[in-house]
Amino acid sequence: MRLLIDRRLFGEIDWVLLGLILLQSLIGVFFIYSATHFMPGAYYVRQLIWIGVSLTALFLVLAIDYKFFVALSGYLYALVVVVLFVTLIFARWVAGTKSWITLGLMQAQPSEVAKIAMILVFAKLFADYKSAYVTTSTTLGALAVAALPLALIVAQPDLGTAMTFLAIIGGAFILAGLRRKAVILLVLAAVVIGVGGWTVALKDYQKKRVTTLINPAGDPRGSGYQVIQSKIAIGSGGFAGKGFKKGTQSQLRFLPARQTDFIFSVIGEEAGFLGVLIVMGLYFALLARLFLSVGKARDRAGVYICFTAALLISFQFLVNILMIIGLLPVVGITLPFLSYGGSSLLTSYVACGLVMNVRMRRFANV
Amino acid sequence: MPRDRIYEDLSLVERRAKIVFAIVAGLIFLTLGYYWKVQIIDHKKYAAMADANRSRMRVLAAPRGLIRDRKGGILADNQASFKVSLVRENVKNEAESFAAVSRLLGLDEATVRARVALHKDLPAFEPIVIADGLGPEQVAPIESRRLERPELVVEPEPQRYYPNGGLAAHVLGYLQELTAEEIQAHPERKVRVGELVGRTGVERVYDDALRGQDGTVYEEVDSLGRFRQETGHQYPVQGDDLILTIDPELQREAENSLAGREGVVVALDAATGGILALASSPTYDPNKFITRFTPQEWTDLMSDTNSPLENRAIRGLYAPGSIFKLVMGLAGLGFGYVTEDTSVYCSGSTEIYGAVRHCWFAPGHGAMNLAAAIQNSCNIYFYSLGRRMNIDTIAVAAGRLGLGRKTGVDLVGEKDGLVPNQEWKLKALKTPWFPGETISVSIGQGQLEVTPIQIAAMTARIAKRGAWVWPHLVEGATGPLADPAAGEPPPSETLPAFTPSTYEAVIAGMWRSANEGGTGAQAKVEGFDVCGKTGSTQTISREAAERLALAGHPVKTHSWFSGFAPRVNPKIVVTVLVEFGGGGGATAAPVAGRLFEIYKKELEPK
Repeated sequence: MRLLIDRRLFGEIDWVLLGLILLQSLIGVFFIYSATHFMPGAYYVRQLIWIGVSLTALFLVLAIDYKFFVALSGYLYALVVVVLFVTLIFARWVAGTKSWITLGLMQAQPSEVAKIAMILVFAKLFADYKSAYVTTSTTLGALAVAALPLALIVAQPDLGTAMTFLAIIGGAFILAGLRRKAVILLVLAAVVIGVGGWTVALKDYQKKRVTTLINPAGDPRGSGYQVIQSKIAIGSGGFAGKGFKKGTQSQLRFLPARQTDFIFSVIGEEAGFLGVLIVMGLYFALLARLFLSVGKARDRAGVYICFTAALLISFQFLVNILMIIGLLPVVGITLPFLSYGGSSLLTSYVACGLVMNVRMRRFANV
Repeated sequence: MPRDRIYEDLSLVERRAKIVFAIVAGLIFLTLGYYWKVQIIDHKKYAAMADANRSRMRVLAAPRGLIRDRKGGILADNQASFKVSLVRENVKNEAESFAAVSRLLGLDEATVRARVALHKDLPAFEPIVIADGLGPEQVAPIESRRLERPELVVEPEPQRYYPNGGLAAHVLGYLQELTAEEIQAHPERKVRVGELVGRTGVERVYDDALRGQDGTVYEEVDSLGRFRQETGHQYPVQGDDLILTIDPELQREAENSLAGREGVVVALDAATGGILALASSPTYDPNKFITRFTPQEWTDLMSDTNSPLENRAIRGLYAPGSIFKLVMGLAGLGFGYVTEDTSVYCSGSTEIYGAVRHCWFAPGHGAMNLAAAIQNSCNIYFYSLGRRMNIDTIAVAAGRLGLGRKTGVDLVGEKDGLVPNQEWKLKALKTPWFPGETISVSIGQGQLEVTPIQIAAMTARIAKRGAWVWPHLVEGATGPLADPAAGEPPPSETLPAFTPSTYEAVIAGMWRSANEGGTGAQAKVEGFDVCGKTGSTQTISREAAERLALAGHPVKTHSWFSGFAPRVNPKIVVTVLVEFGGGGGATAAPVAGRLFEIYKKELEPK
């Protein structure tokens, strides 16, 4: 197995994809600055540092053949489960969950790293699976592998990340081919868990987020507040927006979490529909690039990596832009590349790095 | 379609990937359509809303409900005060702001910084309280600098005030801020950051009912976020008032009698189980730390070796000493090991399992039946009873009287105590039970541990000839109590009790103890028929105590008294424990006697 990158491979790097990623990230920094420049903390500087860190990580991922990562995925999976478990026991409560651990000066969310582990484990699981449709035993086996970290993340409780996980799992199954019978069974199970979870597991504040979706005015000062304020921000942006650093909603701090989950509302307010169109267009190009890399993969493991990574980014993007405009409940999913936050940035970069890795080694000898 | 292929054909999975991308692309397109609707078609509506969106919300803290005693006197009140908070996102220049704010409030800058750092995980728009308990003249200079210092917010706040100082401090409890972790761990309690909530006592148990509902003020602000006018006002709703079972006269006497000593007095209404008095000494003045900023007082209280913050009535674990002879008597009689007339001869000492055991009365009591043995607290009688019974039988009897588990009193942190048996010892200490230990347990020593409130509840059960009693503090409230456990007794015990005649026999001994020159003679009140039992608990081994006494450092025993009055149709139960008070008859019984006397006067028609 060839581990180190050589000059020939260097030429095969997907510079278009890398360019799109960096462009999105810089747009993010721009609006993070606009949303936070009046607060202490220099968020935009920290975000720039994180972009540098994430870019380094991306190139490290490129340097090693993805086959190697896939081969190691079992260990990574075990490590992630252990870390998630430890997090659950030792982590401090931050914003109602125990998903953060402190590493020296740095805080990290292990559930973010778990996403990468999941992508690789599923690639390994399905790599040797060549049938047109998956069998029940394979389905159950894969579900069991996914269930352990998922349960640990739900227990934190970090519903947003857990949902993102489901997207990865669902994607892998779609690709492997689920029979109609299995689809019906899974949907039934989801309904049962959903109804059961609603009555048993969901906390009042989580239920409120869902009921608020149906009637945000019912709780204008509680969980409906964010959605109403976000929608006002976006709607008042109009076609061309209010201008950089001129959004009344974001500048007057009516928008909570404006540099993280609600960064796209700031864009909608200050850059208007035009800004929304540009960012969504760039995103479309980025996602197309990711999905079309599936066709460039040399083997099945590569196919799964590209597909699940593409789905991971798509899912978070779609949920975020639907959530901030009040079409989905506020579940705490960031907008990849644009939202402030190191863990999320790193995960998205590494996921894209894996896709680029698969693509640039398409001619390599197996 | 072929199920298995030998060679790698990825066209099928690639097609599936393309379908999924098509769906994603479709969703993006639809979403973009919705953004078009919101931003272009409905733009005017949202632009108008953004313009009108100059309102902000301020919380008006609800005053806590009052806490009253059974006669209507106020035990916990509120007084007007102001608090000052800092909003981090309005801070322009950190260094300049902290320095100016500290100067303005006369605070140490490091204190302000530490306070803000404590809340660093909070969203920057949440106000952080940095000073409280202020009067109007103290906040005036801040109010006048409103434009210069937009980061400071002054709000009125009803502040808790205990008009009687330390009276019933352990019953009432005290208030404290919750940490951010605690607030987030219990979102259902809806506690705001910086809000003072009950930490212990009644303030904690009935916190939900006492807290009331916060009000809100909606204000219009200008484009710089400055106040312009009020647009809406929702008044806070004061929390429910609580009426406690506490009798102020008895409570005061109970605390006075313990002044300068460590100990506990508990008085129960024998009919209802309502707690008439609960004193734990040493005590503290909850007024000393009703503000959020009294670190010195706190450290002093926390580091005091006498632990004044501990409620000894529910958390102090003591050997019951001779009080336990009541359990032994009930068990011996109830399980048929002895009859009322079974007689044991006390010569002052006896040899059991090869060891010589002494009675506290060296010359010996002579022939004793059960009632006489209780009257004189004769050790030899109960040693002999212990030799006939086995530890597990004793444990069953103690369990029937409520020892070894919580009474369920409406206070937080109650301890279980311990009634040892064979199984427990094997599990906890990994050694089998020795018969000699049963002899120690017979006179209330050994591993036995009880809380004073358990002894009070046990005495109430004996007084009511086996009827179940729940010690509790809250008699009523002005509103429905929000806490489901509050105001409602826990399900009554289903354990079998002894027959009424068994209790009568033991009560006869308790009556003689107080009225016929027994150990409890000093608790006697003319015309009130006091029945009681004393106890003096060794805190160290007998040999060690003798050695210390010889060396000129006598160690006193803990003194107990628990009893009720009158004998027929009992009205009040009193339990007294004085740590290192010496003999129960000399120290604890007179305290109980005074409480009986006061209550007797209260019961007399005026």
